[in-house]
Amino acid sequence: MDKPVTELNKTASKAPSIRKKKKLVLVGTPNVGKSVIFNLLTGTYVVVSNYPGTTVEVARGTGKIGQEVYEVIDTPGMYSLFPITEEERVTRTLLLTEKPDIVIHVVDAKNLERMLPLTLQLLEAGLPVILAVNMMDEAEVLGRTIDLDALAKALNIPVVGTAAAQNRGIDQLKRMVSDFVRKHVA
Amino acid sequence: MSGSMSPDGLIIQYDETIEKALNNIVKLLKARYNFSKRMIALLLLQEDEEITQLAKLREADFPQIFSIIQQTKSKYKDPLRYVITLQCRQRTDQILSGVITDSKKETRLQSWLDHITINPITGIPILLIVLYFGLYKFVGEFGAGTLVDLIEGNFFENYINPWVNQVTAKLIPWHSIQTLIAFDYGIITLGLRYAVAIILPIVATFFLAFSLLEDSGYLPRLALLVDRLFKKIGLNGRAVIPITLGFGCDTMATLVSRTLETKRERVIATLLLALAIPCSAQLGVIMALLSANPASLGIWAGFVILVFLLVGYLAAQLMPGEKPAFYMELPPLRLPKLSNILEKTLSRMQWYFLEIIPFFILASVLIWVGKITGLFDAIINAAAPLMYALGLPSEAAEIFLFGFFRRDYGAAGLYDLQNSGALNGVQLVVSAVTLTLFVPCIAQFAIMIKERGWKTGLAIGCFVFAFAFLCGIILNLLLRSLGVTL
Repeated sequence: MDKPVTELNKTASKAPSIRKKKKLVLVGTPNVGKSVIFNLLTGTYVVVSNYPGTTVEVARGTGKIGQEVYEVIDTPGMYSLFPITEEERVTRTLLLTEKPDIVIHVVDAKNLERMLPLTLQLLEAGLPVILAVNMMDEAEVLGRTIDLDALAKALNIPVVGTAAAQNRGIDQLKRMVSDFVRKHVA
Repeated sequence: MSGSMSPDGLIIQYDETIEKALNNIVKLLKARYNFSKRMIALLLLQEDEEITQLAKLREADFPQIFSIIQQTKSKYKDPLRYVITLQCRQRTDQILSGVITDSKKETRLQSWLDHITINPITGIPILLIVLYFGLYKFVGEFGAGTLVDLIEGNFFENYINPWVNQVTAKLIPWHSIQTLIAFDYGIITLGLRYAVAIILPIVATFFLAFSLLEDSGYLPRLALLVDRLFKKIGLNGRAVIPITLGFGCDTMATLVSRTLETKRERVIATLLLALAIPCSAQLGVIMALLSANPASLGIWAGFVILVFLLVGYLAAQLMPGEKPAFYMELPPLRLPKLSNILEKTLSRMQWYFLEIIPFFILASVLIWVGKITGLFDAIINAAAPLMYALGLPSEAAEIFLFGFFRRDYGAAGLYDLQNSGALNGVQLVVSAVTLTLFVPCIAQFAIMIKERGWKTGLAIGCFVFAFAFLCGIILNLLLRSLGVTL
């Protein structure tokens, strides 16, 4: 009974520490700035291809964060771990089979209340999650303040505020990724 | 793997029944997954297809798991998916209660605006004001009136058409080819003139108004306002976008109806667009015709609205498929950016030009062929009894025939007919109603077939054709037997 789900999983679960590239997956609903963050994290070499057997596009790139080289994956928009659309199904399959080392959930600060349920679901699935609260600048303009420390405490995961379009908070996000992965491996 | 999550620090504590079910399922799960067993159990409880398949294959104890799921389901009257989602939301609210602070001033103004746009008592008057200024004043009077007069009345009538007619007459010796290019039904003098001088200003002003409403965040509020009404006709509030767009161009609206969620909604929206939503070009001409007599305008509007609701209601009763649910995010109301609006309007106009102009030219050519071969005269003669049933002179058949090539060709033909004094008030209303309901124009018909497939597209076309005349006949009988004079 104790068979892993896929071949990929087999190699991953046997020797996670030997894998050269760590896998970083960006998830979130459409239009929260995932792709902007993806572009900031990756270099110029990006492959956009259809996910096997679907028409849904998944972008994969490589980026160096701290001392580590990561494979960065930009997933199709997802509202919930309970999929309705083909895009959501692809993203969940990807999370279920590819064994990410780190999952960055990108949310829109203006609509945090609608997006946090997915964070909770990702955590319940036992995934290694960092929460990036994006579009902080727009939320501030609307008169919204978010206590990120309190949120991090409540969720017990790293939380970072960003305004990716202005390149704000990206360095902090990278630092958090490095710290997180170091702690996780150790 | 799944052990990376600490078992005691629960992220969400569900109610007792669900927690018990989850614990029991987790105990029975023996295979390894990349998700925690608790999440697998949660997905199984919510009857996720993929995960259920996976578990069926890999869990020896699946029958027991299955019976736990069934037992748990029977304890709630709502689907478990709904119950679980709700509890997840509650947990979210609880977490965020101390985290988010929204400054009061903004929110109060916003919630007040939300309230008055969504509440029917204030929302409907606001909608009427928006329609009056946005649609009637700006599109109807400014676009269809001032701008059309300027471009078509001045530019084309005085400069382009005489020049084209003259040049064609000089260069081309054959009369039949001359009429293909110039004179009453030529490609340039009719097809292009219509596209550039009449339709373009109307569509441009409409798209400008529409983009403004779209960017201000008003449309989702309108969607919420009409949601209850739309549910009765098998749609939901989301359909307000294609339906409103239909008042600009039904062809584009039919294309946009693909954003609706279920096939059922898409078919109903396509049907209603083809039948009861007049496009801006048609609307402009019909308004101009009927507005001289408010009673006529009232009868026309009332009857068309009635048909819209009745057919929608019947379609919703008869069509199989899921009833629509409605969930739409309400973005904040905001001041639209001029540059974005202009960009949107321009790209829509560009689309319109590229997609629609070929059909205008095609329509001109087909009309030319029909005239030359005598096919039109034959059809018009054959349609005489139908016109008689509508209480209309036989010349009116030409209007309906042209109406298929462009809805507004028909409406414009009606204009000519009325100017010549051939129609009385009742006849005018009957023909305006029939023409509004009558078959979509050739471009819309093509898009209907492209989007909905041959069978559905053709079925809708045939239904609209028959139903429009039926409605016209009924209205004619009704008005006459009541002795209405307009």
